[in-house]
Amino acid sequence: MPKSIFMKKSDKSQQVNTPDELTADENIILDAMGLSASSRRKFLRQVSTGSLGIYASSFFSSEVFAQTVQDLPEQAQILLNEIKVNLRVNNMVKPLAIDSRMSLLDALRERLALTGTKKGCDHGQCGACTVIIDGKRKLSCLTLAATCEGKEITTVEGLAKNGEMHDMQKAFVKHDGFQCGYCTPGQICSSVALLEEAKNGEASYVTEDLKNIKSGLKLSEEEIRERMSGNICRCGAYNNIVQAFKEVHSGDDVMPTWEFATAEQMKKAKNA
Amino acid sequence: MKTSNESGVGNAINRVEGHLKVMGKAKYASEFPVPNKVYGQGINSTIAKGEIIGIDTSAAEKVKGVLKIITYKNAEKLKGYDQEMPFISTDTIAPVLQSNKVHYFGEYVGFVVAETFEQAQYAARLVKFEYKEDPKPTINFDKSRNKAFKPSEKSDYSRGDFKKGMSEADEVVTQTYNTPIEHHHPMELHATIASWNNGKVLVYASQQIVEDASIAISGTFQIPNEDVRVIAAFVGGGFGSKLNLDRHVIMALMASKMIGKPVQATVTRHQMFTNTNMRQQNEQIMSIGAKRDGTLTALSHETLSHTSIKEIFQEPCGMVSKMLYNVPNNLVTARLMPMNLQAPFAMRAPGEATGSFALESAMDEMAWKLKMDPVEFRVKNDTQHDLHANKPFSSRLLVECLRIGADKFGWENRKSEPGTNKNGNWLIGYGVSAASRNSPYKKTYAKVILKLEKDKVNVTIQMDATDIGTGSYTIIAQTASEYLRIPIDQITVELGDSDFPPTPGSGGSWGAASFCNGVQSACENAVSKLKKNRNIKNSEEVALADLLKRNQLTSFEAEGMAEPSDAFSKHSVFSFGANFAEVWVDKDTGMYKIKRMVNVASAGKILNPKTAYGQIIGGITMGAGMVIAEQSKIEPNFGNFITRSFADYHVPVNLDMANVDVIFLPEEDKIANKMGIKGIGELGITSVAASIANAIFNATGKRMRDLPITPEKLIEAGLEPGVKI
Amino acid sequence: MRPFTYTASTNKEAALRAFTTTSHYLGGGTNLVDLMKEDVARPDQLIDVNNLEYNEIVKNDKGGFTLGALLSNAATANNKDVRQNYPLLSMAMLSAATAQIRNMATNGGNLLQRTRCPYFFETSMPCNKRAPGSGCGALKGMNATHAIFGYSQKCIATNPSDMCVALAAIGATVEVQKQDGSSRMIDFNDFHRLPEDQPEKDNTLNQGELITAIHLNEPAFSDHYYYLKIRERSSYAFALISVAAGMQIKNGTISKIGLAMGGVAHKPWKLTEAEAFLTGKSASQANFEEAAMIAMKAAKPFEANKYKVDMGEKAIVRALTQAYERKY
Repeated sequence: MPKSIFMKKSDKSQQVNTPDELTADENIILDAMGLSASSRRKFLRQVSTGSLGIYASSFFSSEVFAQTVQDLPEQAQILLNEIKVNLRVNNMVKPLAIDSRMSLLDALRERLALTGTKKGCDHGQCGACTVIIDGKRKLSCLTLAATCEGKEITTVEGLAKNGEMHDMQKAFVKHDGFQCGYCTPGQICSSVALLEEAKNGEASYVTEDLKNIKSGLKLSEEEIRERMSGNICRCGAYNNIVQAFKEVHSGDDVMPTWEFATAEQMKKAKNA
Repeated sequence: MKTSNESGVGNAINRVEGHLKVMGKAKYASEFPVPNKVYGQGINSTIAKGEIIGIDTSAAEKVKGVLKIITYKNAEKLKGYDQEMPFISTDTIAPVLQSNKVHYFGEYVGFVVAETFEQAQYAARLVKFEYKEDPKPTINFDKSRNKAFKPSEKSDYSRGDFKKGMSEADEVVTQTYNTPIEHHHPMELHATIASWNNGKVLVYASQQIVEDASIAISGTFQIPNEDVRVIAAFVGGGFGSKLNLDRHVIMALMASKMIGKPVQATVTRHQMFTNTNMRQQNEQIMSIGAKRDGTLTALSHETLSHTSIKEIFQEPCGMVSKMLYNVPNNLVTARLMPMNLQAPFAMRAPGEATGSFALESAMDEMAWKLKMDPVEFRVKNDTQHDLHANKPFSSRLLVECLRIGADKFGWENRKSEPGTNKNGNWLIGYGVSAASRNSPYKKTYAKVILKLEKDKVNVTIQMDATDIGTGSYTIIAQTASEYLRIPIDQITVELGDSDFPPTPGSGGSWGAASFCNGVQSACENAVSKLKKNRNIKNSEEVALADLLKRNQLTSFEAEGMAEPSDAFSKHSVFSFGANFAEVWVDKDTGMYKIKRMVNVASAGKILNPKTAYGQIIGGITMGAGMVIAEQSKIEPNFGNFITRSFADYHVPVNLDMANVDVIFLPEEDKIANKMGIKGIGELGITSVAASIANAIFNATGKRMRDLPITPEKLIEAGLEPGVKI
Repeated sequence: MRPFTYTASTNKEAALRAFTTTSHYLGGGTNLVDLMKEDVARPDQLIDVNNLEYNEIVKNDKGGFTLGALLSNAATANNKDVRQNYPLLSMAMLSAATAQIRNMATNGGNLLQRTRCPYFFETSMPCNKRAPGSGCGALKGMNATHAIFGYSQKCIATNPSDMCVALAAIGATVEVQKQDGSSRMIDFNDFHRLPEDQPEKDNTLNQGELITAIHLNEPAFSDHYYYLKIRERSSYAFALISVAAGMQIKNGTISKIGLAMGGVAHKPWKLTEAEAFLTGKSASQANFEEAAMIAMKAAKPFEANKYKVDMGEKAIVRALTQAYERKY
């Protein structure tokens, strides 16, 4: 429960990083913000390093961000069954020495610091780790990184172009297609791939006529829901995800399904 | 409330942190680039009760990269509970690996740290434990009844004379409703990166209440709270599972202290069943008596649940039955059985979500017996006075919720005889339920930092609140925008750091009201202090930039605090709602579809209809999950959860859900708090299950009293007596 | 996950040669990698066969089509020839898992999918399939999702595949490469086996054999087909019961039929007697109902899965009715 006395833990001096103690990632963020050494100290007095990522990352386009994280120094690790693999992620190639057991998901998150791809179950049962491999949406948790040599991998960090969000990302923001945000990268990668699947005339279990499918499908709501069922959202933002997808898919504005009761409705209800 | 600008409170603006989430830049606990971190993996017991009599770590130690293996034999001594069977709370200590005793299947018995995740996972499997197994663990709900106890004096409640009330009734309903163990399963696995550095602790962790997490850590390790800093910038869902501190954080810290490196530990999805919270199984016996005209004469709600053999948590299922209807004779009881399971803890609307299933199903049963419209039956028994607390409600628009919802839904098209609305193989049913959820409000501090930059004031708000998907970042920014009268793009909100001013964190539907009133206070203090310094009347409107300039300041900080008023404590403060569901049931296969739902919410000032809608549909989805398939089943011979993965524990998927129309009632509850806000995060789940179950009855004539309502149960169920199909 | 060496094969010979008694071929990995993470599958070598050339769909000499073993489930279900000639197969495949998993899972791998029995997955519990001789935990444990046909006292697990239920209805032959370089053909109905005394063996493959193709019988059910899948949620869940029904109907009479069930046995359960009963009969509700009764007659449920008998009967009638009434 909250403390009754306002407590400021200002004496935690060791916790307040000085610029010299910042991680490479944080230093790069600060560099990009154009902060010199003295202004860094000033900045850091006001901003906890914990929230630095939140505060500053909004200044970044994904390309810049990806660049920075790829330059993180690699820890020397002793690996059994070491495999060398060149991972091509978001149009950049990174040679990695990995444990043969490493999933693509862990390679992205733990080695390339591309933490946009999420670990929700690690067993192919939730879809949070969805990435696009050679144009197809796949689960990075069940993909061994060792198998990815020569493959083109796109993660959520690679969808924006020149700093501008993909239409699907914009639609998710507009329609509030998320809450906690943890399943969101998977939902968005899945949605982006689904746009292509619809264009290609791919069928689903709820497609009535499997024999005469044309390309350029206009997906019904039921179709969208079935095809997006591989991405679990525990916050329950499904309706908004469907709205976001519909808008990008159809090109038409989609209206929200909430409203306020009118004074008239209130009066009628009270007096009924 | 008049909104000062387009981004103030009440506007349906996009989430301020939305771009980070959709671009994969929002950083959750295990995603901070902490240098030199290593990986920890918890090991779980494979018996339900007994003790460890041997541990062989030799194979695990040989694994390349393994740095440390911790078991009770070499674990640091931690603070234990001060008493037997304590009630657990959000700041309770979390001792772990303290003895060779095993209390439940899946309890942590060891922790392995290695250079890589793969090494840690593998080595954890190689540590061999030998157990002396107690042959009689308490793992069967039905067979544990003789162990039931009354958890506290407050567990039982009565008013009037229940027996007399039942004897005065023309119709009675007495039925038992069962809800299974459920798990929260937020999408983000509970995770931490924990560092112990010369007695100072820095923990990135997925926590709903960072302050309480810091208290639990300092309490467990017996170190000053000032030395503990907990950061939860983004939390990937909580629903109650991240309210308290889970033991992987303690193990990671203990390991970090031993090896001098930051330790990252992620609870696996499988471990989420046994090492994070759960909702307990409840058996609820309801008795309702009513006069022919629908007047309630008596209502009882008796709940039997379980807790762990070491701690107590009681889900207050009977809460709704105490206050929702105007019934003079009321009896509510609760009993708990200690079982060899982990301690249950709060899951979204603890008590209301499960209790309302029982109450609102029983109300539907009574309406059916009385041949009364279920909406009118509820309206008839409305009350503006909380008979339980003996206080007036601060505001209560339940009748409006029910009637406006009925209109919107097209309730008049409902066929009152089950099984009469058909379409091909489908049986169609309509169901309704009323919802109420306590709306607490707690003391909250906030800090506002103003900086004048090129004639613009850039504002930073700091508080230790969290955003678990609820929209805290956004509504806090909107509040600052409202009260400082500046556009939202000049506002930065920083949350989730225990170094920031304390708040009650996210949980119990208190977040929005507490956070926003705290921020409002800080903003008001900033403006009034700046005005006072220059002898400007409070009523005079001065732009924030001018105010700083007239003070000859380029920066200024102010703090604020908000807490419940006297008026608050003199009233019962609840949010209210109504759920309407149309369900199509396949006459043969037992599969069903929720076709559409209407929810009406009366939850005070709606700060942002877009995020509020998200809270309602989120609650409805989890409520639908209670009906569709969610249940954690205990293996009767071993005591483990046989539903052990996301492939066994079925939460709703996109196709399970239908369109939901939400109507907010225009309301500002100024008794509740200055800004008129009430909670909405848990209102949305409350009574959803009953509305769907009632619709299934209306469709099929089958009264389903055990959740979840799976195809096999529906196929096997018989028609309710009196139903003619 | 236990350590293993990873070998990417570029040709069949190398893959077969590399195989040892403790190896596994790696296809899509959707089942195998999961089982390795669970410590249920414990290969010390993975031979990645994804670069082998078994990824086409071609006409075969039976008048049907042949599916490459390494083609993804998604590509197969959406192949134009498959959709038009074997829509029952497409429908069953599309009911399985999710778009992401179907993009990864291979046809050969689908045939090798292992059971979802929780006792099989939980290494601390007994399971004869995972650890021969340890006992069957489900027999006297929780068995609501388990077999009602063809089980033994050693194992009551079910096969989880949807694709295989459709293949059992349609009829197919599985082609495998033997380690000695020769190949052999296995009738699909002989591919999976009942548990008997060796539940650890799901199928009749010999060690080191690699599935290269699935030869489908001549198309027959492209007008009247339905794959019904009853499950706990509307998508992304394994079947409690599933039924693949395909019929060729001439003047109201069933001239040819394929009928199989999923979720009821250790292998896709072909309803041979019901097929025989319906062949030559009129496609009527009464005949469908009688066929369903015939099909479920031999069921031996446990207390917890008695519902499957009733559900199974209804599912068969429904699938046949849907197939008969199909407009597309």
